[in-house]
Amino acid sequence: MSNTIVTGSAPAATQQATRRFQINLRRRESLAAYVFLLPFMFFFCLFVVRGVAAAVNMSFYDWDVLSPVHKYLGLGNYNELINDDIWWLSLKNTLIFAVMTVAGSSLVALGAALALNQPVRGRGFFRVLLYAPSLLSAGVVGTTWVWLLNTQFGIVNYALHFFGIPAINWLGDSNLVLPALSLTTIWWTFGFPMLLFLAGLQGIPTLFYEAARIDGASPRQIFFYITLPLLRPTILFVTVLGFISHMQLFSQNFIMTTGGPGYASYSVIYYLYQIAWKSFRMGYGSAVAILLAAIIVIFTALQFILIGRRVQY
Amino acid sequence: MFKRSLLAGLSLALIFSLVVFSMPSSSRAADATATLTPAPTATPVVSDLGSGGTHIAFWNGLTGSDGDTLNAMLATFVKENPSISITTEEIDWGTLYPKLTAAFVGGEPPDMFIVHVAEIPYYLKQGVIQPNDDLFDTNGGPLPAKDFAEPAYSNTVVDGKHYGVLLDNHGYGTWVNNDLLTKAGLDPKVQPKSGAETLAMLQKLTIDKNGKNAADPAFDATNVVQWGTAIDWPHYMFQSLLFQFGGTVISADGKKATINSKAGVDALQTIYDWVYKYHVAPPPAGFDSWVSFQTGKVAILTTGTWFRNRIASVPTIHWTAWPMLQVGPQPGVMFGAHIMLIPANTTGDKLTAVKKLMVWVSNHNADWAASGQVPARISIRDGLDPKSYPSNIAIGQSYQVGGHMEAPSPSSLDIGNAEDPELSAVLANQKTPQQGLDDAAKRIQAILDRQ
Repeated sequence: MSNTIVTGSAPAATQQATRRFQINLRRRESLAAYVFLLPFMFFFCLFVVRGVAAAVNMSFYDWDVLSPVHKYLGLGNYNELINDDIWWLSLKNTLIFAVMTVAGSSLVALGAALALNQPVRGRGFFRVLLYAPSLLSAGVVGTTWVWLLNTQFGIVNYALHFFGIPAINWLGDSNLVLPALSLTTIWWTFGFPMLLFLAGLQGIPTLFYEAARIDGASPRQIFFYITLPLLRPTILFVTVLGFISHMQLFSQNFIMTTGGPGYASYSVIYYLYQIAWKSFRMGYGSAVAILLAAIIVIFTALQFILIGRRVQY
Repeated sequence: MFKRSLLAGLSLALIFSLVVFSMPSSSRAADATATLTPAPTATPVVSDLGSGGTHIAFWNGLTGSDGDTLNAMLATFVKENPSISITTEEIDWGTLYPKLTAAFVGGEPPDMFIVHVAEIPYYLKQGVIQPNDDLFDTNGGPLPAKDFAEPAYSNTVVDGKHYGVLLDNHGYGTWVNNDLLTKAGLDPKVQPKSGAETLAMLQKLTIDKNGKNAADPAFDATNVVQWGTAIDWPHYMFQSLLFQFGGTVISADGKKATINSKAGVDALQTIYDWVYKYHVAPPPAGFDSWVSFQTGKVAILTTGTWFRNRIASVPTIHWTAWPMLQVGPQPGVMFGAHIMLIPANTTGDKLTAVKKLMVWVSNHNADWAASGQVPARISIRDGLDPKSYPSNIAIGQSYQVGGHMEAPSPSSLDIGNAEDPELSAVLANQKTPQQGLDDAAKRIQAILDRQ
């Protein structure tokens, strides 16, 4: 048997060829990915990026939709906005509503998901039932809840009457209108976060629970030391998504309160609608939209920093 | 166990809600004895009438029973004119205005549409409507110009040109529950003539659960079972009283907001006091005044001429129509007028058909009275049968005495949008009448300055 001296040239060439092949493969894969993304990117740019760019542009003008000439204002619309008391009131209402609804919706969804994760009889039926409200349109939900919460003829007050509680003006009292809208929204939308939590719960390996039980952990300890920490990615996702969605409150107050009483349930998007589609001040409306988008981005980043830091993937 | 109970609880709550949703609204009424029959029928949003080759797209905001009345008239029209077909779209007013503007921007407006006279300057400023002088006898047309009620008619003539054809006058009036007045020892045929008399009447008609009325020192304002009145639409209510106290929303030249004048504050303070001082009316937000009147929970309701068909559908309520309640030193009531307008780009056969339709509708103005509104044609209005149209006549006549229209302005819609939340805030006790009207004036002035 002769000893073969292995020189560095042949393996180096092979390695180079392998590397070239890998690079080419990666390029081809990247190229394929770009090709697959292209139709989406085309329509995304056409309908979203173009729209956003147009809105940013409009926000620097006094833009009357029926006029061919638009007066350039520079930062005039933004300057007017920061001095606009209705804008600040709408923003405050929107933030209160979003925080209440995200918190309420997440808690209800988590509770429902925990219950539905148990091996109870008719689990599939209950999953469908609890998800069902999410399938309703905003119009149906709004109109129905206006009747449910009606001061004189609503079933909610009718039920309270049995407990000796006098009729409550849910949608007409400026202190109650946002909680009432939030309650409606939680009922309507908790189905989707419930599904996310359910998926999150099912993604937690059962061996953690088995080990904890062997170690004598109580259900409470299991929930707080295993379930909750391992659900943090889902919690982050649910709260971020919920916050972005509920900061855009419109249909509920549009249908149920028309922003009232007074400005008590004005939200930023409702105000934007008033400006852009009632007064047709598209430039000022665009400034509202851009500023709201910026605020949502900032709050989303904050959520990632505050909750995301503690996420264990 | 806890999770199972939670699941069962959540499911029960949901099932309960879904069951409630499937119930007719009347069965959820707190008072089981209340009568709400027959249930109102929804007006079809889109109606295709006739099959003629010349097609008219006709948009309007008549989503109540007035839409049914108009569609019935149009059905007769296409029968008499088989070469014309019509598609009507009844769109809620709040949606109609943005939709119209979007349609004008997109270059695809309807062939004709109905809005209010006060909005003519807005559409005129945008250059999207065309004049129709040839329809009036002043220019050799078929419609007698002098037969149209003032001041609405004059508001349709801008720079010597006629825009559109008036359909009606509609506005505020008073509906009285005869039985409740009689029970309180009041005569439904006698309308109070001053603020003090009106307040005394409303106090007598506001009853708590112990049977005490609002004038009684032992009256329990937190347990009212029957209200003297209700603030159905603060915009119309306030402006009617504003005119009674001699005020206006904007100055005659349309350049200055005057809503926060002393007259304005007096008017709004009166309404505020009815709610929070004398407790003869509930806070309007969240209170269903129409259903409450229909179920005998409100004795006197100030609302629009358009209420006629709704109350006529409740045979258990015996009612009388009065002109607007007088509270200020002079008669005053707010009213408006629907007008049929032609977009600038309606041309050719469509334009001919649209004009034919407008003349036909105007000549059949008596049929329009069935909607509850007051016909715009004086000869037709004065010839209405008092037995069939008592509210049209009683309320319609008051417009000739103390009627005020919303000032025509390119910003009339904007001004209303600025005014209404402030009135709502005052009547929800968030602001004083002075604060609310000062804020409204500030917002209206900003709109006028932008004009």
